Amino acid sequence: MSKRQKRAVKLATVFAAIFAVVPAVNAMHIMEGYLPAGYCIAWGVICLPFLVAGFFSLKKILKENRRAMTILAMSGAFIFVISSLKIPSVTGSCSHMTGTGLGAILFGPGVVGILGIIVLLFQALLLAHGGLTTLGANTFSMAIAGPFLAYGIYKLCLKCKVNRRISIFLAAFLGDIFTYCVTSLQLALAHPAENGGVAISAAKFLGVFAPTQLPLAILEGILTLVIMIALETYAKAELKSIGFYKEVK
Amino acid sequence: MSGHSHKHQGAQSIDYYAYTSGMRKVNASFKVLFSVTLLILCIVLDHIWVSVTVMAGMGLLTVCAGGLSLRRYLSLMKFPVAFILMGSIAIAAGIAARPYGDFNLNLHFFYLYTSGADLLRAARLGLKALGAVSAMYMLTLSTPASEIISVLGRAHLPKLLVELMNMIYRFIFILMDVQSRMSTAARARLGYEGFKRSCYTFGHIAGNLLILSFRKAGIYYDALESRGYDGELKFLEEEKKIKAWQVFAAAGYLLALTALAVIL
Repeated sequence: MSKRQKRAVKLATVFAAIFAVVPAVNAMHIMEGYLPAGYCIAWGVICLPFLVAGFFSLKKILKENRRAMTILAMSGAFIFVISSLKIPSVTGSCSHMTGTGLGAILFGPGVVGILGIIVLLFQALLLAHGGLTTLGANTFSMAIAGPFLAYGIYKLCLKCKVNRRISIFLAAFLGDIFTYCVTSLQLALAHPAENGGVAISAAKFLGVFAPTQLPLAILEGILTLVIMIALETYAKAELKSIGFYKEVK
Repeated sequence: MSGHSHKHQGAQSIDYYAYTSGMRKVNASFKVLFSVTLLILCIVLDHIWVSVTVMAGMGLLTVCAGGLSLRRYLSLMKFPVAFILMGSIAIAAGIAARPYGDFNLNLHFFYLYTSGADLLRAARLGLKALGAVSAMYMLTLSTPASEIISVLGRAHLPKLLVELMNMIYRFIFILMDVQSRMSTAARARLGYEGFKRSCYTFGHIAGNLLILSFRKAGIYYDALESRGYDGELKFLEEEKKIKAWQVFAAAGYLLALTALAVIL
């Protein structure tokens, strides 16, 4: 083999090694035991104000309408089920939606925070996605940062009179990308590279997860859009009941 | 339930194993406390032998005392292992303009390198995560989520959240059942032929699921209210007493772990 060929073989081996483990990797839940104790606590504390605010807005909703209780619970269960489903993919790998964009657009970012932490707890308990000690970090990236960004982009796009469908796609797509970036940053902060520190480490985590997460984000955008179109066609009354149309008009 | 089941069956399988576990008779609060303490020890001590001991000990406990077959246990470990492998690549491998580590791979534009120290760091972290995961599995594979929720309630989590969790837990399985019937119906009509059609089917099933779940939510609220629901669901719970030997065994194990970290 020439030097060039050898290099090609090496490159192919590296890619094969990365893709060999890809099929089982899903949304970016930080695994149990992957963060040092200080970071677990810190991320939990950062989440706290958002969760407390969410809790009070939840209380207010229930005070106005007690029937909202089962609807909220169903919404939580719906986010769980959607994020546990195997989604269609070109490569045949097994991947899942995060549902953050969809949740934020449908229910608003405040409520999604509380529903999100419950869903994440159940994902840890029932699916072993994520963990108990990393619950704070995962809540921040998937139930707070992602939904807030998705919601913000959605609102901004509507304000700027961007096509509704494009806004939904962008919100879900960017929300997913943002979640993935935040998670990579969380991992990098906890495990900085010895040569180059947090920035290099973040780049490495971003790089390792990019092959799965980028296509997944696009798919998440498309699927969220398809779901929203289906809902707008068949479920105008239900959407109104959760205040979706109120905001649009 | 096959080993390579995807996550949808996964949710039902961990729940199913928890209900049939041999350790179900053990007090739930005790199990939660023990496994959380183990998790914290595993993370705080950050010691390779502690991680290995927790991994082996909790694996044995789940398989022997819990009665879960080793094959199923290992297949449940597949998902965490995949994440750990990916994370380890990012931690062990570095990118630099010049050969920097002990082992270098020239990729023309830059070098991919790793060193003995980096590999050791990644291995330590991987083992720590595996130890923590097995401590968590010990809990989740022996304690149904409903019992864990009631432990949280006793730990004075706001009533509203406990209520919400109880309902979400029950609704998850109802929605999964509905979804799996919808997707069977779609599959029977070739709904998953080709990528584009799969996306379309997936989206429509999800949309339908939300509509249905909201209708069900209304019906369930009526049902609850007609039975006198006023913001608190009460469940009959089995009384499970903590036995003295369990406390001693758990305390001994935790002490032994701490000693291990101090001595080695």
